[in-house]
Amino acid sequence: MAADGVGVIARESPPVRVNAAGRSAPLADVWRYRGMLRSLVVRNLKVKYQRSALGFVWTFLNPLLTVGILAAVFSRVVRIPIPDYWAFLVSGYFTWNFMQQMLSTGTYVIAEHTGLRRSVAFPNEVLVLSAAVSRLVEFAIELAFVLVALVLLHHHGVPASYALVPLLVALQVVLAVGLVLPLATVSVFYSDVQHALPIALMMLFYVSPVFYPTTLVPSAFQAVYYLNPLAGLLTLFHVVLYEGRFPSGALLGGTAAGAAVIFALGYVVFNRYKALFAEVV
Amino acid sequence: MACRGVVKRFHHYEHRTTSLREFFIRSVLRRPIHVRRARFTLRGLDLRVEHGESVALIGSNGSGKSTALRLIAGIYQPSEGVIETRGALAAVIELGAGFHPELTGTENAELYASVMGLSRAEVTERLPEIVAFADIGDFIREPVKYYSSGMQARLAFAVAVCVRPDILLLDEVLAVGDQSFRERCLERLRAFRAGGGTMIVVSHDFETVRELCPRAVWLHHGLVRMDGEFDAVFAAYRAEHG
Repeated sequence: MAADGVGVIARESPPVRVNAAGRSAPLADVWRYRGMLRSLVVRNLKVKYQRSALGFVWTFLNPLLTVGILAAVFSRVVRIPIPDYWAFLVSGYFTWNFMQQMLSTGTYVIAEHTGLRRSVAFPNEVLVLSAAVSRLVEFAIELAFVLVALVLLHHHGVPASYALVPLLVALQVVLAVGLVLPLATVSVFYSDVQHALPIALMMLFYVSPVFYPTTLVPSAFQAVYYLNPLAGLLTLFHVVLYEGRFPSGALLGGTAAGAAVIFALGYVVFNRYKALFAEVV
Repeated sequence: MACRGVVKRFHHYEHRTTSLREFFIRSVLRRPIHVRRARFTLRGLDLRVEHGESVALIGSNGSGKSTALRLIAGIYQPSEGVIETRGALAAVIELGAGFHPELTGTENAELYASVMGLSRAEVTERLPEIVAFADIGDFIREPVKYYSSGMQARLAFAVAVCVRPDILLLDEVLAVGDQSFRERCLERLRAFRAGGGTMIVVSHDFETVRELCPRAVWLHHGLVRMDGEFDAVFAAYRAEHG
């Protein structure tokens, strides 16, 4: 809906197609809709937190309680030999929580906006991005608490590796969007996704280094283990936040390449079918 | 705005696979995944609307009027053919369908306007105008779930005209609201026309559209049956449909 071409139609000039929906939209197209993206994010957060007295506390309490239980079990009952186990756990758990929530809410974002999509034309990508950014706002607040806790109680100082945190968060968002794009596409056409997703997420939790470090995985399985796109990302968080070290180039490069490939594939699938979204009610 | 040879094919599914289990079984057995027949809503629409023109689309139910509007709006993609539009476009189709029930009228208006492509600054600037035009009093600060259907329609319409599009697409929206609101809508649409706006209207309220649109296009089974002066086209349509 560009505002160009106001005035008399110039018949000689090439026609301008202003409609946005379904057309293969480059990033510039999404950028034009940043106002909409912002409104959707504000709406998501408003709807989630209005009329709840504790508001954000609930969002924080849920992972915090899980972290408490996991920390108690794996440092007292089933002992995982890691010093300051709680610090290890919080440095990766909130990223897992972001991924899990992104997958379990972002997947349905296209289906949830049927009314809007059938009455206004806009790039469907914006809906997926709005889910990611909404979660990112919450994650940023959680991460701030985690970083402060680690600095005060674990490192007793600020490790230089914390400079990499913005990069890791960027990788996390690219990977999350890359995973959600094809899932959101399939879930428009097939209702199986909502049955399969909770099971898949439960399994993903155990095959991802959330409550144990990647180093405990037998070396024979390491190569296969890193096929899980979350394995590299969570290990990066452990290295940078918990150990306070800079990661190896192979780990960082491999994770970034994996995220880029997943994003590209996911976007190809989404692009291929997004023109049909408006026709499925 | 021009449509050239636009075809929109929807499929009528005799069997539609909606589970992945069935998808795999059918893939293995080499049976077709969907059994479908093409059902045409538009079979080759040619329509050219010049800048500043107002056109009414008339025709019986299922003749493809709303589909044509959705194609022009870019909500649907044509199966064949080309649609060209110039200038900013706002569509009022399924009034208020995009509203979020938990948000207030103001919040929904902001959201809707930004979805229609307004920047944040423009939204802030136009909001008073939208609120004034909708004229639903203190309800503007209440969640939309407490609105009557008339109030929702007023708000949706107010947003659409206040985004100041070059092309306005209206689908059966003149039939809503009370008499005084209708009067104000018509006044606004007349002003929109006078200001050089292009308008395509789908309505069965022939008295009203006649006043707004000098030209009418009669769609019949997905084809243009007749295109010309409103009165002539309407007379022919009446003669056939009584």
